[in-house]
Amino acid sequence: MMFGFEKGTTQVSLSMPPADVTDIAADSTQAGPRPQPIWERILRRTGRAVIVAFWVMVVAFMLIRLAPGDPVSAALGGEASPETVAALRTQLGLDVDPITQFWKYLWAFTQGDLGSSLLSGVPVTEMLKTNLPVTLWLIAITVTMTMIVSIPLAVFIALVRIPALPYVFRTLTAIGLALPSFLVALLLLYQFGLIWGIAPIFGYEPGFPANLHYLWLPALVNCVVLVPVLSRVLYSSILDTLDEEFVETGVIRGVKSYRFFWFYVLRPSLAPTVVLLSYMMGVMVGSTVILESIFALPGIGRELVTAVSMRDYPVVQGIILVFGVLVVFLSLLGDIVASLLDPRVKLT
Amino acid sequence: MSTATVTESPSEVLVEIRDLVIGIQRTRADRLILVDSADFDIRRGEILGLVGESGSGKTMVCRSLIGTLKRRSATIFGGTIMFDGMDLAKIDERRWRSVRGNRIGYVPQSALTGPNPVMTIGGQLVEAVRCNRNRTERDARKRAMELLDLVHIRRPEVVYDQYPFQLSGGMRQRVMIAAALAQDPDIILADEPTTGLDVTVQAEIMKLLREIRTEFNMSVVLVSHDLALIDDVCDRLVVMHGGTCVEVGSVKEVAQNPKHPYTIALNRARIELATPGTQLITIRGNPPGVGEWPSGCRFSERCEFVQDDCRVGASPPLLEVESNHWSACIHAGELGAASE
Ligand SMILES: Nc1ncnc2c1ncn2[C@@H]1O[C@H](COP(=O)(O)OP(=O)(O)OP(=O)(O)O)[C@@H](O)[C@H]1O
Ligand code: SF4
Ligand SMILES: [Mg+2]
Repeated sequence: MMFGFEKGTTQVSLSMPPADVTDIAADSTQAGPRPQPIWERILRRTGRAVIVAFWVMVVAFMLIRLAPGDPVSAALGGEASPETVAALRTQLGLDVDPITQFWKYLWAFTQGDLGSSLLSGVPVTEMLKTNLPVTLWLIAITVTMTMIVSIPLAVFIALVRIPALPYVFRTLTAIGLALPSFLVALLLLYQFGLIWGIAPIFGYEPGFPANLHYLWLPALVNCVVLVPVLSRVLYSSILDTLDEEFVETGVIRGVKSYRFFWFYVLRPSLAPTVVLLSYMMGVMVGSTVILESIFALPGIGRELVTAVSMRDYPVVQGIILVFGVLVVFLSLLGDIVASLLDPRVKLT
Repeated sequence: MSTATVTESPSEVLVEIRDLVIGIQRTRADRLILVDSADFDIRRGEILGLVGESGSGKTMVCRSLIGTLKRRSATIFGGTIMFDGMDLAKIDERRWRSVRGNRIGYVPQSALTGPNPVMTIGGQLVEAVRCNRNRTERDARKRAMELLDLVHIRRPEVVYDQYPFQLSGGMRQRVMIAAALAQDPDIILADEPTTGLDVTVQAEIMKLLREIRTEFNMSVVLVSHDLALIDDVCDRLVVMHGGTCVEVGSVKEVAQNPKHPYTIALNRARIELATPGTQLITIRGNPPGVGEWPSGCRFSERCEFVQDDCRVGASPPLLEVESNHWSACIHAGELGAASE
């Protein structure tokens, strides 16, 4: 009686009536629901991006007006006569209340007009046309360089099993993380630009690949911050992936090494890194303000600094709007790429 | 007994594992032994259960049969695994490629992480079908569909293009079984194939495994914690404890006439569990940790029949105490009376 291998005591009884089995089997043999097509999800995210852009516009509009002083006092200084001030205010359209100003601005925006610089009279859209590409190129080169360095580095550390290597890697990346980026910028500029003379210390030439000459050093500064973060994240996701059971099945099937590397090692590990990079690039958009100032690049970041100090309302609004759209767009792009790489990532 | 047909007379032996020692070479002089003198056969067309507590070395034994120990930095230090005239303990990577997946299929433990998350079901099956073989894309696709059908997946053409995350756990495990069947192997290793699945789905998967065994006369090695499940599905079982095999025999024999105190204790724990209102009893003490095995019998710390001579010398070897029934207890002969 002690060893009842009888059915009554077993947790799983295979003698259950067939009807039951087929009933339940419907659950485990049936295809799952079809996922939403990707373009539908992209559309939804874009819709949300438009809403975000609107609020960025509102906030930028308010913030710059909350800052002490205005374009008139910035341009004329404290000594101008009240008449001159009033005349200029009327001329710049600042004599009406802010709400009306905003509606006017919004109306103009829908016509593709972001206003004109209060100082130079150049339309903001014109200004963006010349300055925005510089910033976009800086971002693109940063992303490319970061990936080119981070991926092989993480893969190497994860796959080549040298005992001390992960330790050295962690220490070095921790140092890289701790360095403030403006300091890195100054140090690299000094070393590469002044001592070795292999990078220009200022100036810019539009168009790829001519601009590469001026942008590689600022991009390198970004890399010093980005590579430690991203290579660490990628390194640990590769280790996690290698521990998963599907890797075992790949080995058993004798998958060819290049296919194995892509489908069983890298691709299942990349999504978190891609998402993180896109968010970090959003943060980096802010740091381009500093970088473009240090490297004297004619991008929208440096333009923003001047515009803020001169209270050039339309320029500030226009650039902040572009920054906002850029951040939203980058994170959307990151999510799309991640979900294409790894279907487990859901585009919400 | 289960509905499985128990072959009383020993059928053809497919794999013969003798004195298998698996461990990790930590430094030149320091070896950590994980499995020690594993000793059992796999016969054609049988479902062989492999039971034992966590850490007893079941997975290590499976990996040695599929040649993926090296990935986990483990090595075979001794013993033989004879399969079709080859010693799997000694063959090189090149020879392994013709065995792995082709002659021996593998169903991974977790239904959740078993399939590759970034490949469609079809893509993975085609890969399994092509496993080290030349086959045209169309051929492979046809075979993949057949396989999905074989494991009773409805609307295979839909599932073919789906990703694992779109499937339920039970479905995924069916797909993994399909992939393991791709090359019509002689043996399928299923390492706890129903972990994380609910009981009804678990039953379906077991039903499927039995069906496959009958249909293709394949051998199935089924690893499990769950003795009840082994009873229901298996023909014979191997009980592992502390990195060794302690008892081997037909399910019926081992159930009615266990010859090792560990098996006796396992059975009792299970029956107590299944009886409502009784206190949960488990086996006394913890399983001995790897590298902390006591001298003599590794169950001696926990055994209620322990005697002085149990604690000396090497771990007792498996001996055939009755025909086709092996036990590693040196007092196996005295157990009958004591356990009644
Ligand atoms: N790389 C390793 N280094 C050290 N010990 C290891 C290593 N791999 C496995 N082990 C140990 O080997 C022992 C046997 O492991 P194994 O996975 O075979 O057990 P198992 O019987 O399958 O257990 P479970 O039921 O939990 O799956 C375990 O105690 C485990 O901790
Ligand atoms: S050998 Fe001794 S200690 Fe080990 S199981 Fe048998 S009786 Fe118990
Ligand atoms: Mg295991």
